[in-house]
Amino acid sequence: MARPGAVIEVDRNTPPVLFHFGEGVRLEKLPLGARIVYPPDPLEPMTNPERAIKRALTKPLDDDPLKSLLRKGMKLTIAFDDLSLPLPPMAAPDVRQLVMEEVIDMAAEAGVEDIHLIAALGLHRRMTADEIRHIVGDRIFSTFWPDRLYQHDGEDPEANVYIGKTAEGEEVTLHKRATESDLVVYVNLTLVPMDGGHKSMSTGLASYRGIRAHHNVKTLLASRSYMNPPDSALHHSCVRQGQLIEDTVRVFHIETTVNNHAFPSIANFMQKRETDWTAQDQAMFLGMKQLTDLAPPAFKRNVFHAMRAPYGLTGVNAGQVDAVHEKTLEAVRNQIAVRVEGQTDVVTIGVPYLGPYNVNAPMNPVLVVCMGLGYLFNFYRNKPVLRKGGVAILTHPCRYEFDAVQHPSYIDFYDEVLADTTAPAEIEAKYELRFAEDPWFRQLYRKSNAYHGAHPFYAWYWAAHAMEHAGDIIIVGGDREVVHRLGFKCATTLEDAFEMAEQTVGRHPSVTHMRMPPILLADVE
Amino acid sequence: MPWYSGDRGPMQLARAFGDVINDVQRVRRGWRWDTPRPRTWPEQGAVVPAPASDLGWARQEPVRTIRWLIQHGLLLPFTEAMAHPKVEGREWVTELERPVIFAANHSSHADTSLVLHALSDRARDRTVVAAAADYWYKRPLLGNLVGLFLNTFPFSRTGGAKEQLHSASRLLKAGWNLVFFAEGSRSPDGRIQEFKPGLGFLSNETGTPVVPLHIRGAHRIMPKGQKLPLPGPVRVRIGKPMTAQPKEGSREFTARVEQAVRALAEEPRQPELQGTWIERWRALKPREPEYLD
Repeated sequence: MARPGAVIEVDRNTPPVLFHFGEGVRLEKLPLGARIVYPPDPLEPMTNPERAIKRALTKPLDDDPLKSLLRKGMKLTIAFDDLSLPLPPMAAPDVRQLVMEEVIDMAAEAGVEDIHLIAALGLHRRMTADEIRHIVGDRIFSTFWPDRLYQHDGEDPEANVYIGKTAEGEEVTLHKRATESDLVVYVNLTLVPMDGGHKSMSTGLASYRGIRAHHNVKTLLASRSYMNPPDSALHHSCVRQGQLIEDTVRVFHIETTVNNHAFPSIANFMQKRETDWTAQDQAMFLGMKQLTDLAPPAFKRNVFHAMRAPYGLTGVNAGQVDAVHEKTLEAVRNQIAVRVEGQTDVVTIGVPYLGPYNVNAPMNPVLVVCMGLGYLFNFYRNKPVLRKGGVAILTHPCRYEFDAVQHPSYIDFYDEVLADTTAPAEIEAKYELRFAEDPWFRQLYRKSNAYHGAHPFYAWYWAAHAMEHAGDIIIVGGDREVVHRLGFKCATTLEDAFEMAEQTVGRHPSVTHMRMPPILLADVE
Repeated sequence: MPWYSGDRGPMQLARAFGDVINDVQRVRRGWRWDTPRPRTWPEQGAVVPAPASDLGWARQEPVRTIRWLIQHGLLLPFTEAMAHPKVEGREWVTELERPVIFAANHSSHADTSLVLHALSDRARDRTVVAAAADYWYKRPLLGNLVGLFLNTFPFSRTGGAKEQLHSASRLLKAGWNLVFFAEGSRSPDGRIQEFKPGLGFLSNETGTPVVPLHIRGAHRIMPKGQKLPLPGPVRVRIGKPMTAQPKEGSREFTARVEQAVRALAEEPRQPELQGTWIERWRALKPREPEYLD
């Protein structure tokens, strides 16, 4: 039986706590009385994933068995999530591979000849052939790549179809192949409650026109938080779009959930609570600390990005989208929810080396904000862990470091837009459309491996709620010039950051450290 | 007194080493290993009969292990570096349940390494290559070297049909896959030449399926007459295995295979030759694990 998550109060015997620090780690002593929120231990994975997948496909929720939906002469499309999930990338075989192999086996048995597999990228970057191979496995890759296995292109006028408008006026577009198909099977992997459900189709196979309907400052400020779909305007919008899609196309959803076993044995200490560290874990920490302190960033990056997570499948559900997603969310919450009593004056978060948008690339300053104040800050239900006007302290080296292939629009966003203003609403009104329609960014998104021109804006909006909520934001260990450009304060050490925070929240503030990753969802009472 | 007795020291050792070199040089000059046969020598028969040994030693251990090391340490990395071969249809040669004949077009000496590169380790380990006896085995050292590197066996291009094919069919029946360039020799301009009917005969006689292969780009790497390879991109396209129809003669079947190889050269995928996705999907079905008691 896996231990549930825990909130521990720091006393004199509490060991120092691990802070992620980009491509590095730190041990920090927190003030007495501070709280540390730990995620639950990884749930026991299913022993026979293939059997569970087969069972889900034969006995779907509120839908017919998949086999009965497949027939000779039909057009079948399988769409699947891209490499932004899970994080770190899963050790082979990826659960999406296992699911797709079962679906394709059934299609082969039924004699379905017209079958296409589409990576549902939305406005994310195109994956390399090797990255796709990692997700789908050798067998699928060899059979279908590149003519029947390809990636969604949200800027291809030929490949995107406008479906209509929702009651709230949100435009909906969809990949043309999906609209022409007799059946679309969506294979999803839900790591956090934000993923899956109607959002899969309405963003994964949509164009900029459809995605901007909910990826905007107004919607994201009204999503509190977007990690809890019932309270998320983003998800309400996706549901409206999704319902329109379901009226147009027959979709069979398959959603999988994994436990939070995010680190391989070599980095096992990151997975464990510090009170559980053995001598071996301490030695591993010391080794990694020395290595990451001394090694050049490119080397560290290669080592970290080569890590594959030994995630285990904890649930697989198939069928009608709402019924499936309800079960999925329940499974995800079982794994990551932690009860936290009351809010805090100061919240500390270690920002790790990896976020959804920098797989195999450095985490640039805009993505540090997206990860720390977007994703990690929003892992709450009911109300934020940080009280309104409190101080958020992040740890990250925050260097001026961009991947020119993956993040070309981020460079211009940082150099041009953030030099002018950091206010999300102003940025949106003034710059977003120009970047989104820039022919060069469009070309790089379509033909290279670059994120869409509008993507850095979304990354910034993701943090809009945290920026509005927090009284002050301090980045420990960051490059001073970069942190100031982002509009935050910079501190050399955590002690300095606490001292700076006292100016905002007063003497002896309450402090809570969110010990992530592995991820957790704070259920704040 | 042996040279190493220490009686005369290093001078004696150097002399012994010099003697060996002299001997090698003498033999080398006497038989002219690397120059054409002198005109003054008597006329040689047109046919070089296949030697009594068909290089059986090259298919025995430990030579197979040595070859594995040579191929993985030298040949395959070199092929990868020079050609970056893009292989389509690998599923047809990943899990071979029975021996097959790989029938490829032939425009370069690089073809053999490219075919071997396209195969799985398991298939490559059980594959022999038919090499022209009158070209490769004229010089025994060269013949033995290619036998060691590529697992070739001498195949006479000029003898009677049945005799020629006897050794090849014996190998097929013994469970070896066969790489066979049915054009007979390298194409002078890169275009596919007519296939010789021996291919169909071999397949019919042994009941072995033929896997058509098309290699594009090898001619640019090392055309006929060029001594050293130049880097260049290559595509190897593998079709699904073909078997002769009932009552189909060797010539007709050979013509059909030739047609298939020509069709594989064309740009878009050829589902009728490369297989529908369902056929390829089934061909890639993982082998069931075998448990020993």
